Amino acid sequence: MLSPVAENLIEKYFNLPFPGVTGVRCPYYINRRGARTQLRVLVGKGLPDEIVEESKIISIQYELGLFDKNGRCDERGAELIRKFLVDQNIGIECSGFVSHILRAHYLETKKFDITKKLNICPSGKFIRKLICKLRPIENMNVSIFADNSNSSIINTEQSGYDQVQAGDYIIIMETGPLQKRNHIILIRGVENKIINYVHARAWSSEGKYGHGVTEGKIRIINNNKNLLEQEWIENEKINDQNETYLEAKQAKILELRRLKF
Amino acid sequence: MPGYLSLQLLQQSLLFLIGSTVLAFLLAPLLTALLYKYKIVRKAEHDYTLQGERKNKAGTPIMGGLLVIVVVSLITILFNWDRRFTYVPIGAMAISAVLGAADDLLNVFGGKRRLRNIKHTLILIKVHKKWYMKIWHIVCLPWTVFRQLASLLGSKQDRGVQAHEKLILQFLAGAVTAWWVYFKLGPSWHTLWIPFDGSIYVGPLIIPIIIFFVMFTANAVNISDGLDGLTGGALISTFLGLTLLSWVEGRTAFTPFNATAVGALIAYTYFNVKPARFQMGDAGSLGLGTLLAINAIAINKTLLLPMLGFIFYIEIISVITQIFFRRVLGRRFFKMSPLHHHFEIAGWNEEKIVMRFWIIHSFMVIVAVWIALR
Repeated sequence: MLSPVAENLIEKYFNLPFPGVTGVRCPYYINRRGARTQLRVLVGKGLPDEIVEESKIISIQYELGLFDKNGRCDERGAELIRKFLVDQNIGIECSGFVSHILRAHYLETKKFDITKKLNICPSGKFIRKLICKLRPIENMNVSIFADNSNSSIINTEQSGYDQVQAGDYIIIMETGPLQKRNHIILIRGVENKIINYVHARAWSSEGKYGHGVTEGKIRIINNNKNLLEQEWIENEKINDQNETYLEAKQAKILELRRLKF
Repeated sequence: MPGYLSLQLLQQSLLFLIGSTVLAFLLAPLLTALLYKYKIVRKAEHDYTLQGERKNKAGTPIMGGLLVIVVVSLITILFNWDRRFTYVPIGAMAISAVLGAADDLLNVFGGKRRLRNIKHTLILIKVHKKWYMKIWHIVCLPWTVFRQLASLLGSKQDRGVQAHEKLILQFLAGAVTAWWVYFKLGPSWHTLWIPFDGSIYVGPLIIPIIIFFVMFTANAVNISDGLDGLTGGALISTFLGLTLLSWVEGRTAFTPFNATAVGALIAYTYFNVKPARFQMGDAGSLGLGTLLAINAIAINKTLLLPMLGFIFYIEIISVITQIFFRRVLGRRFFKMSPLHHHFEIAGWNEEKIVMRFWIIHSFMVIVAVWIALR
């Protein structure tokens, strides 16, 4: 299991802390336009509390009526709020989600901030390094987590999946129809040959409003085979019906990794 | 009453105050009619701040601050004209007011403006077919960089006077003031009064100090002008404090001058409280911000400006903090800036914010006066 604070943070993404409403799952949002100086919550890198705060500000500013006079949103259901978030381009993307969870996990268990240890900015330019220092979460992407200076591959073909633990992650590089997309999945825990994972993703089959943070599992059916030989279950869909599995299958690089420190 | 406190000066100043109030009350309906006639009103389609409950501010005339500018100028020119003391404050206030008026008018009537950014200029330097145009763009590059950096300070980049143009004209207003203080008022103004500690000689350093305070204060008042009655009411306390300080120091030109501003502001605020008959606009806020800075500098209480203009300084610091957090750290410090919007988002109504800001501001002006008199 991840640390209690990290677990609590995951729970908050699954159940955003909107006052008066439960079950608002954080939608997926990725900053495709490449906006750089925006608020991190508007580029898919926000914490749950920041997402709620920003929704409140937008709702009040544009008189969208999401919150009542007492600051509660009890008159609207969770799905309507999710729709509001998607329409306002508020959500979380895969690496932002993993960055926040791992940061909380390592802060609690090893007492250090991973954003200070990770080599976030491989380029030697001073300005770039300064930006990465000031806004680390916004500059952390899948490539950073996949970089050999930050993490190492867990070789499951030799020693099986017994060594896999909470805090490890699955890297999916160059996937999708154009083989341009990268993705990261965080392992939440392993028990009874089942790897439980969480990630932020958007399946095409879920339409405009169905996406968001999701949990799934990988049942280990063959301990010495690679990940694609195992059973991927998410939203009650298995393997070829499971879009996460399909993405992993299409990927040029599929790796299980662990941070080096 | 101590000998240096002239009852005659006080009576004269109160007369200026009463006179300017009456004149401003008489001129206000005329100004309102003119602003409506020429449709100098806030337009919702051009103003992104008119969202939610603020929508009902659309259609309210702007440039109402001209009432104070005109009344103060008129009364001072007719009855308090002093080649040594009052003509430069009036001139600098006029420069700022004209700049503000241009901004207000361009916001209402002007079209969209496009500015070439650094990236575009660099591309032009690289790919332009004509060699002399390449050189031209190289020569213009520092100007483009300045414009781009200045645009980070501005809230809107497509209409009105642009941030870099404002900075230049405000610098001009500050420079005129600094020239006047340094070269015209004489060596006794080359010192900087330090609260509780007498004063220190700063010599020519007084010039950048003055320019900074004039620009900063003008922008601070400009930024605070976001809620009905807020700036007008706060400025009444500030100019009352300045009147009192000028009187205590026996400044025969500045006591009635500040009192005139108080009188005009009383009438202005009467019409500006919610629901406002007109709003101050940049013409009034930049002009009065400049006047406030100059009048504090003129009585050598420059370092008291953050207290005499407490709410204005808090408001502009909230904007600077928010911009820093937003641009550099990617987070909000306040729910929204300037500070009055933060409280609006927090659920306070407009009247509550304005009145609490008035109270806090008045208290700080009293503290400033107490410090100055020690």
